[in-house]
Amino acid sequence: MGLQAVNTGQVISGIGHAGLIGWVLFGGAFQAEPLPFEATDVSVISSEAFEALLTTGPQPDTATDVALPVAPEVDPDPVATPTPDPVVEAEPPQIAPQPEPETVPDTPEPLVQPVPEIVETAPVPPQPPEIAALVPEIAPRPVPRPSDRVAPEAVAPPEPEAAPDPVEQDAVSADEGTEIPAEEQEATAPEEAATEIVTEAEEPAGAPTTSLRPPSRRPTPPATQTAETPAPSDTTATAVNDALREALSGGEDDIPAGPPLSAGEKDALRVAVSSCWNVGSLSSEALLTTVVVGFDMTREGRPVGPSMRMVSSTGGSASAANQAYEAARRAIIRCTGDGYPLPIEKYGQWREIEITFNPERMRIK
Amino acid sequence: MMVRVLCFLLMVFGAAPVLAQNGPLRIEITEGVIEPLPFAVPDLVPETAGSAEMGAQLARVIAADLTGTGLFRELPASAFISQVSDFGAPVQYADWKAINAQALVTGAVSVQGNQVTVKFRLYDVFSGTELGDGLQFAGTTDGWRRIAHKVADAVYSRITGEGGYFDSRVVFVSETGPKAERRKRLAIMDYDGANVQYLTGSEAIVLAPRFSANGDRVLYTSYETGFPRIYVLDVGSVQRRVLESQQGTMSFAPRFAPDGQTVVYSVSQGSNTDIYSMRVSTGQATRLTNAPSIETAPSFSPDGSQIVFESDRSGSQQLYVMPASGGEARRISFGEGRYGTPVWSPRGDLIAFTKQSKGRFHIGVMRNDGSEERLLTASFLDEGPTWSPNGRVIMFARETQGAAGRSSLYSVDITGRNLRPVRTPEGGSDPSWGPLQP
Repeated sequence: MGLQAVNTGQVISGIGHAGLIGWVLFGGAFQAEPLPFEATDVSVISSEAFEALLTTGPQPDTATDVALPVAPEVDPDPVATPTPDPVVEAEPPQIAPQPEPETVPDTPEPLVQPVPEIVETAPVPPQPPEIAALVPEIAPRPVPRPSDRVAPEAVAPPEPEAAPDPVEQDAVSADEGTEIPAEEQEATAPEEAATEIVTEAEEPAGAPTTSLRPPSRRPTPPATQTAETPAPSDTTATAVNDALREALSGGEDDIPAGPPLSAGEKDALRVAVSSCWNVGSLSSEALLTTVVVGFDMTREGRPVGPSMRMVSSTGGSASAANQAYEAARRAIIRCTGDGYPLPIEKYGQWREIEITFNPERMRIK
Repeated sequence: MMVRVLCFLLMVFGAAPVLAQNGPLRIEITEGVIEPLPFAVPDLVPETAGSAEMGAQLARVIAADLTGTGLFRELPASAFISQVSDFGAPVQYADWKAINAQALVTGAVSVQGNQVTVKFRLYDVFSGTELGDGLQFAGTTDGWRRIAHKVADAVYSRITGEGGYFDSRVVFVSETGPKAERRKRLAIMDYDGANVQYLTGSEAIVLAPRFSANGDRVLYTSYETGFPRIYVLDVGSVQRRVLESQQGTMSFAPRFAPDGQTVVYSVSQGSNTDIYSMRVSTGQATRLTNAPSIETAPSFSPDGSQIVFESDRSGSQQLYVMPASGGEARRISFGEGRYGTPVWSPRGDLIAFTKQSKGRFHIGVMRNDGSEERLLTASFLDEGPTWSPNGRVIMFARETQGAAGRSSLYSVDITGRNLRPVRTPEGGSDPSWGPLQP
């Protein structure tokens, strides 16, 4: 009995332990280990949440979710196009949305290829903006310039302007229809030009006086051109203008100032003179002397001999300075050639020149 | 955005005219070219019968002087467009500009008996002006070369701004024969090697002749007694006398002080050599250095206040400077090799020397404090530099290698350019350049 009672007790306890062990092994223990799901879940959610925040709004969450469903959708649909779908999903978020709306709002519909098309058309517009940037104020009005020539003869038909544009084009083209693009606009411009054409004569009229200088600097051509055009119409007015122009161009008062010389233009002068600045025959003391030579220039870019003078000198005796000045003067005169390459429209900027001849790098040590 | 860009452009370009300068256009040029200045010297116009040949010879010497400096380049007569047939006629600048003659020398010569008169003018062709006034020189027909040198000196001085050196003479040791049996004698010549005259015979070895400051006397060392002794030779009379010296000593390496009244030289007693000075008039000697080493080759500064010399007191031969009255010396050479035969420039700004380094000899120059050392030459053996009167050129002796080696004279510009031999009828060494002649 006693043995049976013990056995039963042991059996019961054994069964109990076995059950407990079995429960531990196959039940709660395995279920308890996967607890670390916290870390995995959190990390995944946080990274995509980041992307979602960056893109816009709440959809990023759905986007991640959508990524999974998209694949199943591909399976049922066309068999041949499963791969392109994921590719397409990847591309659109990167490119399609942003570039298209910014550049070409007008052509939103074409999604895939319109982008290159827009790029092609885009470069075209940038050109006009550059011109417009340089002549923003003049752009609207200056267009009529070509019409000035037309104006004298077109003065007659100005009033019927508002009528049929195309018809007027024919008339205008019949006059001197070589100019192609702005013909329609010319039809409107001639009125304004016609009223002022007589006094404008192209050069004084334009607001940008500097830009109109180039034609005036040409000595002979303008005279012949104006002489040709006025012949048919007003000979007296153009003759007066020519006379004025010649007088102004030849007069000392009409000195085109123009903008300051560019670095390149200065370098051109510097290089030209330095190529003739021979210090090989200078004394050691003269090579220690820096001289500043001043002189006037003619419009042809030639130094005026009598105006040449030593403005100042430093670093040497009077004798050495004189030698250095002589060498500098020879350099300026020798390399004149047909005139230094200086822009005539900036004559006012280089009418007087002072060149510092510093032989520091040429010294005999 | 576009509006802002446009506004910016308008501000930049629109403001440009406002920023236009008020004064003259100012630029600075820091680099030019170094090349010989082209010049033309037509034959001098003969103003008397029979002076045409003289006019041609004068023009050749003038041109050779100027060309020899390396600073000028003569344009050949074949390139001339216009000829100068009248000294007083106006210059056709355009013709000379066309051949790029930057300087033009015109002159006239007249010969009457033994007298020659030369006048000349110098023109700056591109400026169309005359440089200085016309000058006239007169002399004997025998001295026509000196007249040509005078003209060349004037031209050189007017263009370069520094004194000339053509009308000067050089005393040197003329050498003949092989190295083993070389015969040496004192000779004097024009700076260009012409008009060589011998001052001594070749029976005794002579060394290191040195002109006095005014060129009237020459110091040199002779072995005619078997012992080196210093002699003073009067160039005009070719009379000489021995400088007082102590018995049993060797005296050598003499050199005049700028005032011509004092001579510095070296005295060797036993194995020691020191520098002494002596008043020529009294013969009283003063010891300037007192060291167990070898001190020699003294040379005065132009103002006579200092002496540069060579010494091996540091263990190698180097250059030192001390007061003319002696005293503490300071070393000025610190480069590799050995430095010797220092000579102070007439300008006082440079010291020329001989340097031996890595088996080769050099002529070099350095500042008085030893800075900015520059080696001008290099060869098997270059030595004994001497300065031209204007301090622009250095003459020295160069000896070629081998038993048949020959010593000859060369000159070089202090820039290191224009190294050229000085033509002498025989070999030459130990040149000493005298002053410009009056």
